[in-house]
Amino acid sequence: MNGATTVSLVGVGGQGILLGAAVLAETAMAEGLDVKASEVKGMAQRGGSVLSTVRFGRHVYSPVAHRADLVFATELLEGLRGLDLLAARGTLVCATTRILPGGVLRGEEAYPDELAAAAAARGVRLMLLDAEGLAREAGNLRAVNVVLLGAASLVLPFSADAWERGLAAAVPAKILDVNRRAFALGRDAGARQEVPR
Amino acid sequence: MGYTVCPVERALFLSGNEAIAQGAARAGVRFACGYPGTPSTEIVESIAGLDGVHAEWCVNEKVAVETAVGASLAGVRALVAMKHVGLNVAADPFMTLSLTGINAGLVVVSADDPGMHSSQNEQDNRTFAKFAKVPMLEPADSQEAYDYVAEAFALSEEFDTPVLLRSTTRLSHGRGRVLPRVPAPAPERSYERDMTKYVMVPQYARRRNRLVLERLQTLRRRSEESPLNVLEAGTVDFGIIAAGVAYQYAREAFPKAWYLKLGLSHPLPYEKVARLYQSVSRVAVVEELDPFFEDQVRALGLPVIGKEVIPADGELDPETVFHALEPFLARRPPRRRRPVLPAPPRISAPPEPVLGLPVRPPVLCPGCAHRSVYAALRRFDLAPLGDIGCYTLGALPPLLSLDSCLCMGASIGMMSGFNKALGRKAAAAVIGDSTFFHSGVTPLIDAHYNESDGLVLVLDNRTTAMTGHQGHPGTGVRADRSQGPAVDVQRLCEGIGVRCVTIDANDHKALDTAIKREVETPGLGVLVALAPCVLMVRERAGTVTVDEERCNLCGLCLDIGCPALAPGEVAMTLTDACTGCGLCVEVCRRGALARDPAGGGGS
Repeated sequence: MNGATTVSLVGVGGQGILLGAAVLAETAMAEGLDVKASEVKGMAQRGGSVLSTVRFGRHVYSPVAHRADLVFATELLEGLRGLDLLAARGTLVCATTRILPGGVLRGEEAYPDELAAAAAARGVRLMLLDAEGLAREAGNLRAVNVVLLGAASLVLPFSADAWERGLAAAVPAKILDVNRRAFALGRDAGARQEVPR
Repeated sequence: MGYTVCPVERALFLSGNEAIAQGAARAGVRFACGYPGTPSTEIVESIAGLDGVHAEWCVNEKVAVETAVGASLAGVRALVAMKHVGLNVAADPFMTLSLTGINAGLVVVSADDPGMHSSQNEQDNRTFAKFAKVPMLEPADSQEAYDYVAEAFALSEEFDTPVLLRSTTRLSHGRGRVLPRVPAPAPERSYERDMTKYVMVPQYARRRNRLVLERLQTLRRRSEESPLNVLEAGTVDFGIIAAGVAYQYAREAFPKAWYLKLGLSHPLPYEKVARLYQSVSRVAVVEELDPFFEDQVRALGLPVIGKEVIPADGELDPETVFHALEPFLARRPPRRRRPVLPAPPRISAPPEPVLGLPVRPPVLCPGCAHRSVYAALRRFDLAPLGDIGCYTLGALPPLLSLDSCLCMGASIGMMSGFNKALGRKAAAAVIGDSTFFHSGVTPLIDAHYNESDGLVLVLDNRTTAMTGHQGHPGTGVRADRSQGPAVDVQRLCEGIGVRCVTIDANDHKALDTAIKREVETPGLGVLVALAPCVLMVRERAGTVTVDEERCNLCGLCLDIGCPALAPGEVAMTLTDACTGCGLCVEVCRRGALARDPAGGGGS
């Protein structure tokens, strides 16, 4: 709205959304930018939808915004839901992970299958990654969030040095190496994707 | 107002408090409670002797409101009385009660004490009506006190809201003539469960909150039409806005003035205020304590004489009012101005489900022992009245096992009032361990003292789980994680004199037996369903295996809402989130699921 860039991180409670947001915020600070972040916790901790917002720029006023320039989703359905948060010509970085909500498990609702079509219809740049597979390859299934950050780094204006400092500041030391690998794998996978723009 | 004067009765000479009590009894109140506090005490005292009314002193005002809410839910009109500062104690249930609304009429009487004859402060509780967005009635004498109670119950039921009946010392403790009247009879009501109305989890509370904002607008229209708000013509160019006993002081000081006498004083009837200004060029607001009306009149852009001359503290009297306002009558009146009536506030549109996608509400974790308690509890015909914590999630689909969530600690008082109103063990209270220590102990003492019937289930998972596993007095774990002395729930209950049994919440059969025994035993009992939060337990009980021959995907096991269960192609499947708690095994009628204590593994 005023020159600040907005990133919304969405997923399911327990998927490391808050850590992903922390890495992003630390990276932006390492670039010398002003950062504001906001998260909704509480009920979301019990397997509900989680939303965290990080905004950065020369000066950031509001901690929230109606539309994000980039949405980062650790789950497919939440990525689809996140399309609604995305500004025109925005980017969606999304994991192929599926976590079925209760209504789908009980057969009351269908798990949607139209992410690519919906993203195309909205003119959204989509990076779809098997983030679980890449996280496992990096050495820890829980590094899905950092795999996605690696892919997102292709469209965010931060230097490799800033990302390194962001990771080191937010990620506990004993899992830092795994997360460095996850980041690199995510960045490579993102770069291999066709970018229809 | 739809009254008939009772021809056989003579005029009575009653205090305002006695008039409230007798008016309430005539209006069909069946349950009255409160905590004593000057100047409110005689309301419950007087009502206690009246036919057809059950009256109780409660342990405090919060518990009193919660108990009255329970009675209202069960279907009987309920009145709860307290002094002004008592409403601070009861503010937690009172504020959210505005959102849930009521079943049978519910009136909260706040007796304020301007001048602090017997109080530690003189807060003006009219602000609570505005704060909670509920209608307020202010009687000005004993007759009105008698009549307005019936009006309050009718408003409460018509608008699905608690009503604040505000008194002050001179009304409560003043006496006057009262002609008894018979109001319209109270309609019959019975309890109907409605989670979206009584369980104030965020998704339901947001919807109720929009209804509250809309209700305030319809109440304002009622306030414009209500005969309780009267524009009284005078003979001089001077008008006064007043309510309650302050109206009497002003009327005596300025008998020739015009009056806008407010009986339904919140929300304020803007158009009636504007009409007073069309009739006179000088207007004063005469009110004790805060500039409650004055601020609202000024916000309409109207010049008004108020707190610059009318004392903002202490009580008023006719002489004080006269000497304060008399000089203005000789001065040139202010230039007439047209009021600017505010547009009704914008209310956010309800959120649409994004792109029609399935919602993802929070759920109880796999292996959570709360689920076992709900699975057992729903076999019995008890309204499970709830509280605040992880277990509130039991109200959501597919469990649908919790009927109410008002505020922290409300479940036990509500159960007590509910069962009292129906005269049987019709409701159970479900409360977590941390919430029990927060504000569940006082209502338990209250229920014991008032000999309420009921079953209290303390879901003891040894932590404050919902907010991220903080300590509490039951565990002794302190903010810095150091270990302090722990309070034992069972010994605490026994110390109060309430029978209490502790059971392993993962032992489904024992749970079932214990609930059954409690349901069949008269009186009050506590069951502590003990099982540490599954997120804190490192050792798993194993896993569950599926016999694909026997499973026909009937989906019965899915009704317990465990996220570890998912229907596969030919049979149910269990994700590695399964903790082996075995609840689904017991739910399955085809014997298709089996516990495997050796399976799973890891944390």
